[in-house]
Amino acid sequence: MFAVMDTPPILPPQASEFAVQYDLLFWYISGVCTLGGCAVYALLTYCCFRFAKSDTHTKPQRILGSNKLEVIWTVIPLLFFLSFFVYGARIWDMAISIPKEAAEREYFVAGKQWMWKVQDPDGRRQINEMTLCAGVPVKVTGTSEDVIHDFGVPAFRSKFDVVPGRYTAAWYKPTVPGTYHLFCDQYCGQGHSQMVGKVYVLSADDFAAWQQGWYKSKDRVQRTWPGGEMPKGPLDGSPAWQGALLFRKLQCNGCHFTQTTDDPTPPKAPTLENLYGTKRELNDGKLVTADEGYIRNAIRNPALQVRSGWKPIMPAYHGGLATETDIHNLTAYIRSLKPGDLPNRVERTPTPIGGAPKASQSEPKKEGN
Amino acid sequence: MATATPPPLIPASVDAPKLDYTPQGVPPAEPTAAEDRTRKHYLNHDTSLLGWLLTVDHKRIGLMYLVGVSIFFVAGAIAVGLVRTNLITPTGAILELDQYNKAFTAHGTIMLFLFLIPVIPGVLGNYLVPLMIGAKDMAFPKLNLMSFYVWAFGAMFFLYQLLVGGLDTGWTLYPPYSTKYSHTNVLYAGLGIFITGFSSILTGINIIATVHKMRCPGMTWGRLPLFVWAMYATSVIQLLGTPVLAVTVVMAAVEKLFGVGIFDPKIGGDPLLFQHMFWFYSHPAVYIMILPGMGVINEVLTCFSRKNIFGYAAVAWSSVGIAVVGFLVWGHHMFLAGQGYYLSMVFAFLTMLVAVPSAIKVFNWTATLYGGVISYQAPMIFAIGFIVLFTIGGLTGLFLGTMGADIHLHDTYFVIAHFHYTMVGGMMFAWQAGLHFWWPKMTGRMYSDFWSRLAAVVMLVGFALTFLPQFVVGFLGMPRRYPNYPDEFQIYNVMSTAAAYIQGIGYAMPVFYLTASLFFGKKAGNNPYKATGLEWATTSPPDAHNFPHTPTVYFGPYEYGVPDGLSIVEKMTATDHGAHTNGTATQGVTSGS
Repeated sequence: MFAVMDTPPILPPQASEFAVQYDLLFWYISGVCTLGGCAVYALLTYCCFRFAKSDTHTKPQRILGSNKLEVIWTVIPLLFFLSFFVYGARIWDMAISIPKEAAEREYFVAGKQWMWKVQDPDGRRQINEMTLCAGVPVKVTGTSEDVIHDFGVPAFRSKFDVVPGRYTAAWYKPTVPGTYHLFCDQYCGQGHSQMVGKVYVLSADDFAAWQQGWYKSKDRVQRTWPGGEMPKGPLDGSPAWQGALLFRKLQCNGCHFTQTTDDPTPPKAPTLENLYGTKRELNDGKLVTADEGYIRNAIRNPALQVRSGWKPIMPAYHGGLATETDIHNLTAYIRSLKPGDLPNRVERTPTPIGGAPKASQSEPKKEGN
Repeated sequence: MATATPPPLIPASVDAPKLDYTPQGVPPAEPTAAEDRTRKHYLNHDTSLLGWLLTVDHKRIGLMYLVGVSIFFVAGAIAVGLVRTNLITPTGAILELDQYNKAFTAHGTIMLFLFLIPVIPGVLGNYLVPLMIGAKDMAFPKLNLMSFYVWAFGAMFFLYQLLVGGLDTGWTLYPPYSTKYSHTNVLYAGLGIFITGFSSILTGINIIATVHKMRCPGMTWGRLPLFVWAMYATSVIQLLGTPVLAVTVVMAAVEKLFGVGIFDPKIGGDPLLFQHMFWFYSHPAVYIMILPGMGVINEVLTCFSRKNIFGYAAVAWSSVGIAVVGFLVWGHHMFLAGQGYYLSMVFAFLTMLVAVPSAIKVFNWTATLYGGVISYQAPMIFAIGFIVLFTIGGLTGLFLGTMGADIHLHDTYFVIAHFHYTMVGGMMFAWQAGLHFWWPKMTGRMYSDFWSRLAAVVMLVGFALTFLPQFVVGFLGMPRRYPNYPDEFQIYNVMSTAAAYIQGIGYAMPVFYLTASLFFGKKAGNNPYKATGLEWATTSPPDAHNFPHTPTVYFGPYEYGVPDGLSIVEKMTATDHGAHTNGTATQGVTSGS
């Protein structure tokens, strides 16, 4: 494993599919630059020795330049530089084009002075640690509670700024099991260098065992399921489930609720069913797409974008009321809402929504269901 | 004395050069020892304190800058001494986390705003641009003095900020950290940046006006020394870029003081807006730092290889190219900050274009040496060191400008190593080359040949060994601005720190032998290097008004390679002593205020 090597490493570990592709680009640029640099150095060395002043060498030549040479050493470097650009854009494209199967397993990362809060697609939360299954591509979405951070994993050659007020993302397909560094790469204050952690890549078997062990811990059970017991029936700690709990705890359904025959009060706020991904009209006439950013904004600064036909009555939920992870989970819940899913105005405990944690295919059935 | 066009020095039978080799104003004769003792020059014609503090003489102002930037260089160097020493152990050898953050911020802000940006424009630019174009002073001498005091006033805020507890935001001052979360002296530092920026703008205006209006007869644009071209390009950048930084700093201050949401997303701002505005100035600012250095290298290389510059037009226009395209590449600092894909593509493409003029310069410098007669005095060793180190700095920049490759290297020690190779390996070596090259002109004294050559080698070796390990540790992933780091990176940090001490010794050496030269150095004479520039065609140190008579220029600046192997100036002084005037003293643009 990387962290316990005795001899100093010269190259970082290559632990993801992207890292292999990245290194090809890196060595391509290195090769061209080394050749170019050596050519300059060779000429420089030759001139420095051949034309050094001596008793016999006292007459300089009068050379003013050569247009031919100027063209040559403008065009050739330019062509190589452009090849860097094209190849680099391809690799960049690879880094930002998140495959569908990775997008289905979304890790959520919130940077906070000075720690990383990581929540995996099944709702497990870790601080300064991230546990991945080798061979399973994942998406990582991040934002920040305070200042700009940067979520960097050198072994995956991946890095992205975690910016307050917006979501940024990356994806990995880890390949080699091991323990790797996780760094904050954007200066964030006093504890910047303490904002480090580990990324564990486990083989499929180890990952399954780790998942099983995770749910055996008693306080995890209590934290994840109110009432302190794992629910009978479908096991669910997913982000959408946590969002569902929060939705009721924050009494969002005091306004955003489904009108029932028992309780004919009309809702005070627009319905959230089938909201995600659709175009909605605001009361200033603008059309916006209801994506993560819009939903986040609607919770943090509701007065900024008010749906047409509704009054701006919603209070702002700042960081003390809902953390970034909470908002991510609320968004996951809102995303999951199909017609008829929105609770009534008094409901406080939701029924689990989605079966067992939607883990990787390798995951076995949970014990104690 | 009667006017006469001096006869051509090159016989008509020589067909190689198509230029007319009429000398460009004959330099004054070397003063005799007796004359020299009583001679009044710019240093001793008025030695009162006010005579210095209120001087409008560009040469004295240049020396005042020299003192100022040297003090801040020492301050910045002490800060980085603390930083490097702290990095000897993975948990921080001597500093607390806060102290470390303040130390590297002090290093960055001081070195950039108070050393690298003003050093060559302030010292050599002020001193040499009027001399090189045959003028008596800058176009606006009083503005020049004001620009020095504005700089000094701004620098006071940096000093004050250091004394009352320092700054911990990094020189980049990214909000919302700087505007909301940092409890250090962001406002004072911002004021310092704001005010020194005005100095930069004023100097830029002055140099542009001087180059346009003050050139002596015959000094066409095609005959300008390349240092002047570089200073001109630099001034244009200063003039266009610095106001944007000033606006940015004001906006950050407004947000911090009055809570107006500009950059902090919590109150409706956008942190990326700051980065765009900041880098709109700060990327061109790296060209403000390096272009004058490139200019110096042209002067030194040609002189010590006794050659024309290879491809004058290419070198001159590449400076302009850098100045123009350099304004359009700022977004390559923000590939990972969340700016859009296509925006990044545009910036990455333009970054590849801006790399080309730098490559052209390196090739032309190397080709300049071809066919020369090279001697290795200290300025030349510094200049060759510049080419060696700047080549590495430039090539590693390509990794960072390539979008894909930047992902892993961004914000690691690879970046640190890259920009130190350009800013220190490039700019610092160019500054040393220039300082050593023109020291005899400024002071009239020669420094120790042995010690200066030794210092150049010590700096070169120390520098290369400091930053080479940082490329490796950067590729391994060590982030910048980390006082604590994983154990396996220690070996590289220890190597780097050890070499940094060697480098420190190298930088300390000139302080001693240059100071000693003022008292014990032998008289330099008017033109110790037999150089062709107009600044050498006057006495050392020059008179208060530079030239006894306005010179006239008949040919390009680097005519070292006349057919029989003697430099034109050697010929002129050998054959044409005493023919001081050429009747054109009144043709020039009148100089002075």
